[in-house]
Amino acid sequence: MNKNENKRYERLSAKSKGQLIIESENVLQEMQQKFENTIPGMEYFYDVAKQYAGGQLKNPERKKYIATNCIQVPIELIYAANALPIRICSGAYSMSQAGAGLLPAKSCSLVNATLGTIYTNSFPLAQKPLTIITPTTCDQKKKLSEIPSGIDIPFYTLEMPPSKDSEEAQEYWYRSVKKLKGELERITGNRITRSKLKKAIIKVAQAQRAFRHFHQLRKEEAVIRGTDAILIANTFFYDNIDTWTSHLVSLNAELEMRKSRDHNGSESRYPRILLTGSPSIFPNLKLPIMIEKMGGSIVADEFCSSNRLLYDTVAVDEWNMYDMVPALSDRYLKACTCPCFTPNNDRERKILAYIKDFKVDGVVYQSFSGCQLYELESLRISAVLEKENVPMLYVETDYSPDDKGQLATRTEAFIESIKNNL
Amino acid sequence: MDYFTGIDIGSTAIKIAIIDEDRKLVAWKVAPTGSKFNENARDAYNALIQEHNIRLPEVQHIVSTGYGRRLYKSADDTVSEITANAIGASTVSHEHSIRTIINIGGQDSKIIKINAQGFVQNFIMNDKCAAGTGRFLEMASRNLEVDIDQMGEQHKRSLNRSLTVNSTCAVFAETEIISLLADGNKKEDIIAGIHTSIARRIARLAGRTTIQDDVLFDGGTAHNSGLIEALEEEFMRDFIVPELPQITTAVGAAYMAMDLFLKKNLHQTVS
Amino acid sequence: MVFQILAFLLLIYGGYLSIHIGTSIPTFACPYNQECPGTCYLISVQHQAHNTWASLFGFRGKAFLISLLSFVLLFIVINKAWCGYVCPLGTIQDWITKLRNRMGISFSRYDDLSFKRLKAIKYVLLVLLLFIPLGMSNSIFGLPLFSHDLGAPFCQICPGRVITPLFIGDTSQLFIDFTNTTTMIMSSLGIIVLAMFLIGSFFKKRFFCFFCPMSALHYLFSRFSMLRLIKNGDNCTKCGNCYRVCDVGIKAIAEDIEHSYMVKDDCMMCFKCIEACPENDCLKVSFLTMPVFKSTEEGFFSRNLHLNSEMQKPSKTIIEDE
Repeated sequence: MNKNENKRYERLSAKSKGQLIIESENVLQEMQQKFENTIPGMEYFYDVAKQYAGGQLKNPERKKYIATNCIQVPIELIYAANALPIRICSGAYSMSQAGAGLLPAKSCSLVNATLGTIYTNSFPLAQKPLTIITPTTCDQKKKLSEIPSGIDIPFYTLEMPPSKDSEEAQEYWYRSVKKLKGELERITGNRITRSKLKKAIIKVAQAQRAFRHFHQLRKEEAVIRGTDAILIANTFFYDNIDTWTSHLVSLNAELEMRKSRDHNGSESRYPRILLTGSPSIFPNLKLPIMIEKMGGSIVADEFCSSNRLLYDTVAVDEWNMYDMVPALSDRYLKACTCPCFTPNNDRERKILAYIKDFKVDGVVYQSFSGCQLYELESLRISAVLEKENVPMLYVETDYSPDDKGQLATRTEAFIESIKNNL
Repeated sequence: MDYFTGIDIGSTAIKIAIIDEDRKLVAWKVAPTGSKFNENARDAYNALIQEHNIRLPEVQHIVSTGYGRRLYKSADDTVSEITANAIGASTVSHEHSIRTIINIGGQDSKIIKINAQGFVQNFIMNDKCAAGTGRFLEMASRNLEVDIDQMGEQHKRSLNRSLTVNSTCAVFAETEIISLLADGNKKEDIIAGIHTSIARRIARLAGRTTIQDDVLFDGGTAHNSGLIEALEEEFMRDFIVPELPQITTAVGAAYMAMDLFLKKNLHQTVS
Repeated sequence: MVFQILAFLLLIYGGYLSIHIGTSIPTFACPYNQECPGTCYLISVQHQAHNTWASLFGFRGKAFLISLLSFVLLFIVINKAWCGYVCPLGTIQDWITKLRNRMGISFSRYDDLSFKRLKAIKYVLLVLLLFIPLGMSNSIFGLPLFSHDLGAPFCQICPGRVITPLFIGDTSQLFIDFTNTTTMIMSSLGIIVLAMFLIGSFFKKRFFCFFCPMSALHYLFSRFSMLRLIKNGDNCTKCGNCYRVCDVGIKAIAEDIEHSYMVKDDCMMCFKCIEACPENDCLKVSFLTMPVFKSTEEGFFSRNLHLNSEMQKPSKTIIEDE
């Protein structure tokens, strides 16, 4: 880069970071102020989200960190290599603006924003990541590393099979994960030993246990707003995992108490909504906030950024490396309902199960413009839901705020129609 | 006499409907939206009630709807235009049982499926794009220098020699229209082509759902007989077009105003 | 686990206490071990099959039916849990597995195709096991009568015959019988199978069970049993945890979401799958119709990862912070 270019780059980077802080604060304010009856235990999660936006995540032990570009990266391996996994999939409009210039016009906002984050160096931590791990889930993410943009951080492509049910696909994925283990050892310079990996699996399992408890609590009644629930899962990567877990445990206790006291986060007579499709990532909580403002209650979601993030577990039979690594691989493949897999009947089954378990009145399906996989799968899901007589609202949107008016009309009409038919 | 008002503030026009306590439409008005939603709506409303000698306190409840519903300060309640449209549609026509509404407005086009009770079952809306909306027609009328009210007449004159306008984007269509004109094509054939293009766009939008009879077509564009013909051709079925297609949604809002008022009163007398 | 050891002690050393359970035990209780308290049904059925057609349809047939009935009756109570909890050969294999695990050596699995092909072997063995003794007394398909030296042919190759006596210090079965060609072939086959048993079960969990004709015989009656392994496919996320811990490697437990009866021919009803299942009420064991043991989310975390519930209670410091 020559001097002028460098200057322009600095300017873009500074501007984007500034906008990120503003837009994040606006969203947090909207979440904290526009709704009554906030839960004290949420404060911590709001704080962490704020730190993330400001690029001020805590890392007191000054550990090396690895950026992950998707939740399909086995984070247990990263913990076992004595490094921190930080997911950089971004929900920031400012970042999508910064990244849009580097990618074809029809790219989805999430991919634009993620590239924008990397390009403008707006990582949530002060230092740069050692590497960026990108699983080959969707085509756009897969090709990110090949975009000529002068990014000097190495990408690592984690190969994923296009299907998950066949023996060949599973074998392929085991080998891919095994290779990643070796690669992580090389990158971090730390050996992943049997006991370290076991510790990491258990550490994540504790978070999973708290998360599953949280999930169960929401089944009974709407103890917490769906927007808050999404934010909680979003912040998983943004703080020390043990701290995060213990705060979720306290929040669960609080919710349990509220439940018995009959204090609802959002009132249960509101239409109960299930949110699915392209993932809402902080600060892009436009649609969930809109739904809850219009009087819907998001009781569950089927997002990789939220419910899918920590739900699936690891079962190890023999605590040796030869069984732990495949067991770990299983967690990220077999129960996964990402539309990058074909066939993906499991997603249908999961959505139908959630509708039953969470007593859902209507489904809102979010597709980011350009997110082909979720767009394609919406056709099938909507057919299935029509057969089951569950109303579904399909929303195509992106990170920009300019369709808020249209969204308001759609979500409001959808919620009105559910209310009338209740 | 008690009156109930529905105000539909759309992107192009403000539609006001007033019904009396016997649910009879007593007054209605269409005025341009302009840039000041609240003021324009207020002025139009005041003018309307003066015309019909209705005193302000006689109006018991006002429900606003449409894109600018939240900006109208004196509304007692707001409702989305989709719900209002559904209710309006089922009250407009008595002899038919409407199950699908196609509404093409200034900036939105919607396909709404309703049940026998007039409640919305499902709906589809266009994305943020002017193709297949009233805006597209407006733009064409400007380019062709044909009054928008005359477009239906012109369409008839085309006698099935409709040209194809391929561009779905309103901006690109403009260029296409100009080049069609430059090639010496007749205006009426171009207009027929534009209507077909819009109808095709709506049909594609409807592709996500199954259309059930009877189908009601409303919104400001339903005044255009040429568009009706093109749509009927594209959907291969007959549409019901209300007498006052532009105010169905406002009428629906007025009905809702009455229901809400009655519900509230009932609540008060009970407690 | 404890039950397994008790069953092992009973079936190997029960004779010292003069216990006698009968001659139709649906598991490997090998009378070649002189302190065995009962008889493996496989040996009974082979002896009974060693009869002419005429007598099989007469008085001896009745004896055959009675012993079959008592086999089925015993079996019907605990289904294939005989394999998982009672069978001494199974227990020995589990010990070998434990040894391998300690040594940090990886186990192996069959791929789908081999699994499908190899699982048929136990049925072939079962048919031979009945057919050969019959052929010693009757001419089948015009074949000459088989040599009486074949004895109870499956026992000749069964590793239980050699191993179980070893536990009471009896090494008398550990030899090759050079009396004639038949005995020589059969006894060397026995030694070969023994070697395969030991080596195989070192690298593959429950190696022998996969080929066991007793297991095949069980499966014919399994559906009528009172003890059942039931799956509710609606609650299954196909996470594959159950398959991962399955010693015999039954994939259907993870992938089949349509059927509810989950005892497959290779299943030993060890119920590790239920322990590994993180979904509430997805897998369960029921006796008659009463649920005995169910999969639960809490159970998953405490059993598999040994997370105690203390960790899920809010710590004081955090509450005070706020």
